[in-house]
Amino acid sequence: MEIIEKIKTNKSIDNLTEIQKICLNKLQSSPLPNPKSEQWRLSNKSKFSNFLNYSVNEKDPIFDIPFPKTSQSTIRLVIGDNCQTNFIEENFSIKQISEDKLVKYIKEQISYFDQNENWSDLLNLSLNCTKNILGLKINGSEIPPIEIFSHASSNSLNAKTLVIFLEKNCDIDLLQVNLGKDNSSLSQSTFLCLEENSSINHGVVSYGENKSNLLNSLNVIQQNNSEYNLGSLHFKFNYARFEIRIKQSKGNAKTNIKGMQITKKDEQISTFTKIDFHGPNGFLDQINKSLADDKSHAIFEGSIIVPKIAQKTDASQLSRNLLLSNLAQIDTKPQLEIIADDVKCKHGATISQLNEEELFYMRTRGITLTEASKLQLSSYFQEIISFIPVSQDRWDLLDKLLNEN
Amino acid sequence: MVNENLVKDVVKEPYKYGFVTDIETEKIAKGLNEDIVRLISQKKEEPKFLLDFRLKAFKKWQKMKEPDWAALGYKKIDYQDIIYYSAPKQKEKISSLDEVDPKLLETFDKLGIPLTEQKKLTNVAVDAVFDSVSIATTFREELAEHGVIFCSISEAVKNHSDLIEKYLGTVVPASDNYFAALNSAVFSDGSFVYIPKGVTCPMDLSSYFRINSGDSGQFERTLIIAEESSSVSYLEGCTAPMFDTNTLHAAVVELIALDDASIKYSTVQNWYAGDEEGIGGIFNFVTKRGKCLGKRSKISWSQVETGSAITWKYPSCLLLGEESVGEFYSVALTNNLQQADTGTKMIHIGPKTKSTIVSKGISAGKSINSYRGLVKMGTKATGSRNYSQCDSMLIGDQASANTFPYIKSQQPNSEIEHEASTCRISEDQLFYLQSRGIEFEEAVSMMVSGFCRDVFNQLPMEFAAEADKLLALKLEGSVG
Amino acid sequence: MKESDPILEVENLSASTDNLPILKGVSLTVYPGEIHAIMGRNGCGKSTLSKIIAGHPSYNITNGDIKFLGENINSLEPEDRAQSGIFLGFQYPIEIPGVSNLEFLRVSTNARRKFLNKEELDTFDFEELVKEKLEIVKMDHAFLSRSVNQGFSGGEKKRNEILQMALLEPKIAILDETDSGLDIDALRIVASGIKKISNAQTGIILITHYQRLLDEIKPNYVHVMSDGQIIKTGDSNLALKLEEKGYEWTDNFIKET
Repeated sequence: MEIIEKIKTNKSIDNLTEIQKICLNKLQSSPLPNPKSEQWRLSNKSKFSNFLNYSVNEKDPIFDIPFPKTSQSTIRLVIGDNCQTNFIEENFSIKQISEDKLVKYIKEQISYFDQNENWSDLLNLSLNCTKNILGLKINGSEIPPIEIFSHASSNSLNAKTLVIFLEKNCDIDLLQVNLGKDNSSLSQSTFLCLEENSSINHGVVSYGENKSNLLNSLNVIQQNNSEYNLGSLHFKFNYARFEIRIKQSKGNAKTNIKGMQITKKDEQISTFTKIDFHGPNGFLDQINKSLADDKSHAIFEGSIIVPKIAQKTDASQLSRNLLLSNLAQIDTKPQLEIIADDVKCKHGATISQLNEEELFYMRTRGITLTEASKLQLSSYFQEIISFIPVSQDRWDLLDKLLNEN
Repeated sequence: MVNENLVKDVVKEPYKYGFVTDIETEKIAKGLNEDIVRLISQKKEEPKFLLDFRLKAFKKWQKMKEPDWAALGYKKIDYQDIIYYSAPKQKEKISSLDEVDPKLLETFDKLGIPLTEQKKLTNVAVDAVFDSVSIATTFREELAEHGVIFCSISEAVKNHSDLIEKYLGTVVPASDNYFAALNSAVFSDGSFVYIPKGVTCPMDLSSYFRINSGDSGQFERTLIIAEESSSVSYLEGCTAPMFDTNTLHAAVVELIALDDASIKYSTVQNWYAGDEEGIGGIFNFVTKRGKCLGKRSKISWSQVETGSAITWKYPSCLLLGEESVGEFYSVALTNNLQQADTGTKMIHIGPKTKSTIVSKGISAGKSINSYRGLVKMGTKATGSRNYSQCDSMLIGDQASANTFPYIKSQQPNSEIEHEASTCRISEDQLFYLQSRGIEFEEAVSMMVSGFCRDVFNQLPMEFAAEADKLLALKLEGSVG
Repeated sequence: MKESDPILEVENLSASTDNLPILKGVSLTVYPGEIHAIMGRNGCGKSTLSKIIAGHPSYNITNGDIKFLGENINSLEPEDRAQSGIFLGFQYPIEIPGVSNLEFLRVSTNARRKFLNKEELDTFDFEELVKEKLEIVKMDHAFLSRSVNQGFSGGEKKRNEILQMALLEPKIAILDETDSGLDIDALRIVASGIKKISNAQTGIILITHYQRLLDEIKPNYVHVMSDGQIIKTGDSNLALKLEEKGYEWTDNFIKET
């Protein structure tokens, strides 16, 4: 109940919005996720409660974007800032979704929510006032790349919500960057709706500072012939959860996911994915990589659900994990739930160290162990990073990672 | 879809072990309480330590909740509506097989397990268990010459109580899970095997479990101890009559392998599975676990699970000894409304331990077939390896196949590799076989047994052939 | 007596992996300008010997010494051995997905150059150097942009090994079955590459099963290994005799001793 009280008594929120009321009402019966449920059983309890320790802060201090904007055409938005969000050009338009439409859409989403599975979204929406919800409707062609930033400031808990409708035949590059400051908690919920024949190259890069926490929830609905490509990277969080829920609402869609999480010190970062095929001819190619060092804990749980209606689904899920220290741990659980019989589904998981034979080979060529490991790691990272749109040219994530590791 | 109508026309062979033996039995009253536990112990003239073991387990069980996490749906079991002890009435002391009730011998004859001196299987020693008690054990003298003890667990309690006291409940503690606790409180009979140091058991040992009574549960308990440098291959078979009620079977199997010992445990489980509408059938909730206690010890589980309305079973290995090896080879076939949730746990504790998991699930009809497994590398399991392969075959668009692998590692110097895939019988493959003149049914069963080949190769010879036939039989009429 | 100091001295070397003894007292000395051939059946310990000289972490030296230019290198890391001039040509070159061949070659070449107090090469200068060395093994420039050995044919992998040897300019090269899996043309290319790279200051150890490489590169010494030991040493005629009579002939030889 503590959390609900906290939200209700939050001084910076004058009156609760309709959505907040609905969510608070849902949270009333069970305010916290069930720690024994599949989604939460591995979650570190003290880290999780630490997430909720900060007070809700509506006044964001000025925010420094971590990398310069080089191309004038790039559209850059910061959730929470009163940024210009209506772009109406010759070929395309990016418009703010009207409030009543947004409320209607979110309400509909909430009606499908499961208390445990969507707890992060319930929290997000119950915390959030209108100011921190960005809703965009995009259509047209030759749309410039879009960058959207969410951040939490020090010693506070911030919630940011992003809703994007991508209209028919649209095609965009979207980079979402979630930044956690020192001692902060960020709750980010994202809702993407891909209409027919649309496609997104979506990058999600989240990193924190000292003692940053993150609950990042991503909900995607794909219509016929849409293509969703996600490249994600999470690192440097004391505690982070990345939840991905993708529904191919009528099948006939393509989903490609390449994600990575890196944990060090005593961090815990987990990724949960649920891919729901709700029609025939769906396609999924997913790889999730973890790297756990020091005393950290990396978790991956993936599920692929193929009901009877989803004949001819072709889905593959791979979980690759590197365990680099004696005190670190990795949990992985890629799961398949299949009813349709004419499908091709496979999954795989490996946990190991860096490949010793490869290391030896490089060392016999005079490359030091440290350098050889770095080369291996960079190839391990590269596969994921090259899949993250927009960032590639001017923001060298790989260097950032290699220097951190 | 392939030849749908043709397949549906195929006449289904009935469950051929579904008969009931009409024999006078001694049953105690339905229900479970402390007095019943005491009564069972008293009937079996057990020493105090065992009664205490049972009572402690019963107290624990009362405090536990029936698990609901497995992807299984079934009617709540009324534990007070079950008879916990049922035994065919026999003479007090039987000195030889000839004194066994001929009806019982006839029953096992019909099941293909002849017990009498003249007819008994020549290369396998059999312990035949009928409802709650062991009827007979063959080749006892021959085995005794090698120092091998093979008898019912009730007998072992009387004659080898030191071994029972030392090992019972050390692999599967009474409080391990709901059904293990229940079994520990009320287990009636089962088999006991002891292989002394350095002995390779001269023949395969086998237990055959027969449920005859419709309203009694079966709670057998098996304990196998392989001393240093010994080895044994143990086979287990199960059948039950057709009743339209569900019968509860909650067994516990414990294996212990010391230095350089090896135990191979094979099961062909063909309990009555219920009818097409899912009426009747056995609820098979079994806890099987082996402890590789010694260095270089090895425990290998192989199972062919075709029967039971519901199966809930994870034969597991605790790999404690350095360089110990755990294996799990499984074929689980479900049809109609059967539900199977099976897999294994490989817990790597000691260094340089190895485990292999090969699981093949075939789901037909409206059945649910889940693989659920845990592979864990503990902090001391340096240099350890696991390889798992879990394949599912779906037959028809009503059946479901699930894979839930839980993988955990705390040891960087170890490797875990898991692969899983789902497939169906392809039309091209079927057509190819048919175009060579192979009948449709035959072609399907060829494909299925090809799919299961890796597992069948692990079974003892007599079992492999039986398993093949069993699968073909179970699948008849289900392809389409 | 030799005029110069030996490059490599292996003295009564015994080694094991997973407590299994593989080498049981091997002695071998290589002087500058010498070419040694080591022959023997599969599993006789030839490849193990080469890996131990290169410093493979899976093997333990249980007895004896390896000296390189007079210094004991028993406990030297593999990269230090490589930088100081020991080269191992792998029988099965390792594929390293994701790591670019060019980058790999550049980093390793610079590591060796640094050791030799030579200037490290930037990408541009390195490209020039590689271009020149590619000629030696008749490799296409396109190989450089691929991942290390990934998707290379057997012959391409072996040529990539020789390319690395050409770039690293080792004092001693141990070539483990560099001839296996090569067709006649590729064998010629590889052999002529080896000859071009080696000179009076370098030593070469060829590990092989067959005479055909030795037809191209004539060894000064031929050693026959069996069960972790060198059981016979002779000149190039020994290899010819071996080709003619087969390894059974050496079995008899073991009995004689």
